[in-house]
Amino acid sequence: MRQIKSFALAAFTAFSLSSALVALPAAAESVIRIASVYPATTLDPSRSGAAGNIEPFGQLYSRLLRRSFETGELEGGLAEKWDVSADGLVYTLHLRDAQFSDGSPITAADAAFSLERVRSDKESALPSPLSAVESITAADPKTVVIKLKHALAPMLANLELWNVGIVSKADVDKRGVDGAFATDPVTSGPYMVKEWRPGEKLVLAPNPHYWRKGYPKSDATVELLEVAEPETAAAMLKAGEIDVMRGVNWAQVEDLKSTDGIDMRMEPSNVVFIVLLNHSREPFSNLKARQAAAYALDNKVLTQAITNGYAKPANTPLPGSLDFHDDAYPGLVADMDKAKKLLEESGMAGKEVKIILGAGSTNQQTGLLMQAQWQAIGLKPVLVNVDTPAWWESTGKGEYDATPTWWMNELTDPDLAVRWALCGSCDSHAFNTFYDNKKVNELTEQGSREQDPKKRAEIYQEISRIATEEVSQIPLYYSPFPIAYSKRLKDLKMTPAMQWTLEETTVTE
Amino acid sequence: MQIVLKRILQLVFVLLGICVVTFLLVHMVPGDPARVIAGDRANPETIEAIRKSFGLDQPLWQQFVTYAGNLLSGDIGQSMRYKRPVTALIGQFIWPTLFLTGYVICLAVPPALALAIASARKPGGLADQIIRIVGIAGMAIPVFWLGIMMSRFFGVALGWFPVSGYGKTFVDHLHHLFLPALSTAIWMVPVLIQSLRAALIEKAGADFVTAARAQGAGEREIFWRTILPNAVLPTLNLFGVIIAFLIGGTIIVETVYAVPGLGSLMINALLARDYHVVQGLTLMFAVTTVGVTFVVDLLSALIDPRARL
Repeated sequence: MRQIKSFALAAFTAFSLSSALVALPAAAESVIRIASVYPATTLDPSRSGAAGNIEPFGQLYSRLLRRSFETGELEGGLAEKWDVSADGLVYTLHLRDAQFSDGSPITAADAAFSLERVRSDKESALPSPLSAVESITAADPKTVVIKLKHALAPMLANLELWNVGIVSKADVDKRGVDGAFATDPVTSGPYMVKEWRPGEKLVLAPNPHYWRKGYPKSDATVELLEVAEPETAAAMLKAGEIDVMRGVNWAQVEDLKSTDGIDMRMEPSNVVFIVLLNHSREPFSNLKARQAAAYALDNKVLTQAITNGYAKPANTPLPGSLDFHDDAYPGLVADMDKAKKLLEESGMAGKEVKIILGAGSTNQQTGLLMQAQWQAIGLKPVLVNVDTPAWWESTGKGEYDATPTWWMNELTDPDLAVRWALCGSCDSHAFNTFYDNKKVNELTEQGSREQDPKKRAEIYQEISRIATEEVSQIPLYYSPFPIAYSKRLKDLKMTPAMQWTLEETTVTE
Repeated sequence: MQIVLKRILQLVFVLLGICVVTFLLVHMVPGDPARVIAGDRANPETIEAIRKSFGLDQPLWQQFVTYAGNLLSGDIGQSMRYKRPVTALIGQFIWPTLFLTGYVICLAVPPALALAIASARKPGGLADQIIRIVGIAGMAIPVFWLGIMMSRFFGVALGWFPVSGYGKTFVDHLHHLFLPALSTAIWMVPVLIQSLRAALIEKAGADFVTAARAQGAGEREIFWRTILPNAVLPTLNLFGVIIAFLIGGTIIVETVYAVPGLGSLMINALLARDYHVVQGLTLMFAVTTVGVTFVVDLLSALIDPRARL
């Protein structure tokens, strides 16, 4: 009995102690905390194209070229200057004097090694930017020579992509791939890894050897925190426990806008929200059924309803921020009568449509609207909820009829975007829709080789028109990145290619 | 000694069953860990190469044989996405959960004891009615909603407590985990009260109480030495189940307050189809549950010699 009594006493003591602990002052240390739902899962830039990895890759690894944060133009990165042969087949890049985070020099051998890993390693997540490359060699310690199989218009832009970051060959040779990227990789970007607690946070510290002298401007460490619940992240931001909330829900925007000390911004992005249709089986193997489905969805109303008007209705299945995008093209303008008529003509009326919905409130809302509209024209939509891995499995195997989703292009050049979303002979099955139009496939190759911007514009606009009219996917809207920042940060933003401008950021305490 | 051996034997069978069932379940759920690792834009060849590197291209039975072999040699495997041993991940995430569990016990047990006694002293009285009504309300409020509301009010509006994380020092932990522990305790206290109150009322009318009274024992002595020890037994068993549940099941509270505990690890591993982490955690939870039940049985024997193990 005495045990119970003393236990109860101890418990009461703990209770009163904790109650007395309220309102402890926050420790004053210079840290920039960014909360995101997307987890960091690897520190090897060649191994993943998931959002939670793209963001830190940009901070850890410099590329041969970089994109100016102010103008968005390509400029010298680790390569100071470059020459392109007249036939567009040979790129010679001259490296500047620069060092890795361990103080060792960054050489052409490191650059060639890094690019080669992306191009030919079996586990490379996104080799397509370098698919036109025939060979990469280090001509001397300061010169990299890239030979192409055929001319490629976006070649320089592709060398700025997050996954072609330069890693240390010596370190990978020494520790092996798994060892070199396990916890404390040798980095070439503005930051290096201070601590990584998988599933919790990735802590970055400024790289003292970073080639852009004077950057990062702030000596603050950066914590990339994984916070799964948007409600929690918003509370953390308001309570001052984080400085940046990535992925604000549309329903939270107004509240955060009206909160003191918070700057709620809509950052331009290369994101497009679409509805994927499965062209490999009925009803959407039928062109008229696809057109009916598209005419039945009024994406102007839908965009307003789901995003409160913060996004822009889409006119083609490609991101609106891409080069050569035709803003004036009207696309398919919603028309219920036309939709009903087309569905009747298709002979697909009354067919069941399996709509699969991934996690998240946006998917749920879009799915419900799709269901209501398609029911109204005479289809039989059925909603099925799945989680992300199951979503990939179903779409990859073509076990679905329609699904709302989004994607982004890393670059503003349309080549990779078209290869990903519309090209049926490329390896993505036109983003698992199994859309396959010979003309589009041919134009894809033609567009990437054409050097004249005017002709390229014509080619990509034609691709967009064909895909829109044949309803490769149903375009919904172009969404910005809704991000809330603490006002104590200056000059931090996310670029359309999902990169933080942390090296420019300063903190006012 | 015999008891311990019996328990260990029981544990072996439980674990064997858990291993087979978890293995089959996680592998049969649609979804590919390789896709999660490589990201949305990876092409089929990359996915295949990653699957091969993890041995996922082999037949399921062969994968199970490898897994079981590793398990027998004491290796519960490696996380496919973080390339770290599962034990290291559990080591990283277990402390916030254990601390939270201990904290919840400290916050829940004293009021539960006091209120159950107050309630049982005069069944149907005013105090009893109030305690029961408030108790039902406490149980009926979803932990998720309560957590969000408390973090908004005490964390954001008043600024008394942090709304997330675990902190660095012991005092930090107490501060950071106060709201999560309280959210859980509010649900747990009424459950304990209900059980203890019923037992107290039942035992108060038992023959051995009348006997004690006839022998001239004072009411206070009867209560502390006779009624309470007898009444506490069923609640102790319930308490054991709850503790085991807390260690494995604080997913909601950990998500709402962004506490890096086992619940977060489990849900992330499930969403990533990180097979070995899910299997390792399930095994750990099973061992914990069996362990906690064992301790509760020992305690019961200590309190009541009649409770044969």
